[in-house]
Amino acid sequence: MLKNYKINTFIMRFFVYLLLILLLIITITPIWLLIVNSTRSTTEIQQGISILPSTHLISNYRLLVSKGINMPRGFANSLFLAVASTAVTVYFSFLTAYGLVVYNFPGRKLISNFIIVLVMIPMQLSIIGFYRFMSKMGLTDNYAALILPLLANAGAVFFGKQYFEAMLIQDLIDAGRIDGAGELGIFHMIMMPLAVPGAVTTGIFAFIASWNNFFTPFILISSIGKYTLPMLVQTLRGDVYRTEYGAIYLGLAITIVPIILIYAFFSRYIVSGIALGAVKE
Amino acid sequence: MNLTKLRRNYTGYMFLAPFIIGFLIFGLYPVLNTLGLSFTNTTVMSSESRFIWLDNFKRLFADVVFIRAIGNTWLIWMMNFIPQMGIALLLSVLFTSARLKIKAIGTWRAIFFLPNLLMPAAVAALFNAMFAYYGPMNQLMVRSGILSVAMRFLENIWVTRGLVSFIQWWLWFGQTIIIVMAGMTSIPVHLYEAAMVDGASVWQMFRRITLPLLRPILIFIFVTSLVGGMQMFDIPFMLTDGRGSPLSSIQTNNILMYMKFASSQGHIGAASSVGVMVFLMTSICALGIFYFLRERDMGDGKPKRKLFSKKNIER
Repeated sequence: MLKNYKINTFIMRFFVYLLLILLLIITITPIWLLIVNSTRSTTEIQQGISILPSTHLISNYRLLVSKGINMPRGFANSLFLAVASTAVTVYFSFLTAYGLVVYNFPGRKLISNFIIVLVMIPMQLSIIGFYRFMSKMGLTDNYAALILPLLANAGAVFFGKQYFEAMLIQDLIDAGRIDGAGELGIFHMIMMPLAVPGAVTTGIFAFIASWNNFFTPFILISSIGKYTLPMLVQTLRGDVYRTEYGAIYLGLAITIVPIILIYAFFSRYIVSGIALGAVKE
Repeated sequence: MNLTKLRRNYTGYMFLAPFIIGFLIFGLYPVLNTLGLSFTNTTVMSSESRFIWLDNFKRLFADVVFIRAIGNTWLIWMMNFIPQMGIALLLSVLFTSARLKIKAIGTWRAIFFLPNLLMPAAVAALFNAMFAYYGPMNQLMVRSGILSVAMRFLENIWVTRGLVSFIQWWLWFGQTIIIVMAGMTSIPVHLYEAAMVDGASVWQMFRRITLPLLRPILIFIFVTSLVGGMQMFDIPFMLTDGRGSPLSSIQTNNILMYMKFASSQGHIGAASSVGVMVFLMTSICALGIFYFLRERDMGDGKPKRKLFSKKNIER
């Protein structure tokens, strides 16, 4: 009886690992093919699949930038936009979250609930009204139109609120007040340094969200010099590169590899952050 | 409450001011603006714009294209959501099983989550290249003998729809596993112990303990996935020609809205009406599900269970 149980457990375990390996293959293969193909020439790519890299990385890059796509510029634009978005999101969402957690003002509960509702509202669908508004303000084709809305980033406020509720120590605030620090000073000098791990998690998500964002810049940004990487990806799909698969794969790899590197370093923050964003008791 | 404390509490508004101002200007106003524009015949090309009441909406509902776009969006979303939830529940049960003791759970989850961080536009472009006529997928299929001749994958309605759903699934299943698992590990172990003493089977425990206690989390995933799915744009836009080809089979709500906006005339009014209808449909579904399903069987005098809180994250 006990022996049977053990054998059954062993067999079940075997099938579970089989399933996991299958999912692993499904997860990794497209990414691996992309990276490998970015180092292979178009001729090699058309001859067949390989799981080993080749030597044409440099020539693919030359080809990629030779046809009018300014990849370094797009990279710099995306980076600038992502850094600015991250700074605005982290600072203002934690400011809001802190205000909601620490002060007991009339309407606090209402605003807290409203922020949860906001997370569930498809704001992207007001893009036309937003576009029209921005064009009246002369802010189309301007990164400000992509950064300013992050002043009110409901998802990030929600996360920051969870974080402050978990860590907030009333004594520290009181000690700060006795030492004569102003309310904003307490937030800046005492609470923000303590909230760094949460801020890092929020920051990573904000950075990646901005880096990957295609729809909003696609609608709002029009001059080629301001194109971000996802917009260049869209250009890559066009006629000029139709048959230059090596260059296309490399262009896609350039947009994806930095994020994989970030993940390699920060995966702990990221995975715990997801759970924190949703878990109940 | 003394006066200093009272005054101090009002400084809370100061902390919230940037958010509230930002929301009113960049969140609420654009929504109202979109609503207003949806009652007009505004175009990019002409400065003239007239109030035409519900004409945009009447035209929309008479238009088979709009109905089809909504159908496409729901279909593609469901084709990705159901397997996503299925695999997440299955893997969470397996990962948390005391009998199986699966090794390196953290690493498996971390790998499965990776696709979620990748740029959807680039992933769709990648799948476009992989499923091109001369692409790797055809090479593999033909050489291994699964297909006798190369197939034009992206000209087949169901292959293309299936691909969009697959990409969405590929991007999101890892995240769903992490959230479901966090929910499962927060269920008190003694409940299962008691059930085991009573001779409950694995299935009974899953059905009677895990699922009901997991419900708030499942609803959270359901609602956020629905809201995201109804706004799906990048993947169907980049996978084929950006117009929902073949035969408009992957033309989603957002693609239709964009096409009206980016048409030669730039029909801002008509595009807004699409935005308004989808906004209403999604918000009503999402908020309805959230409020009606969440607390339904909690009327037993116990305190309401909180949907969001931060216990058990470290596990």
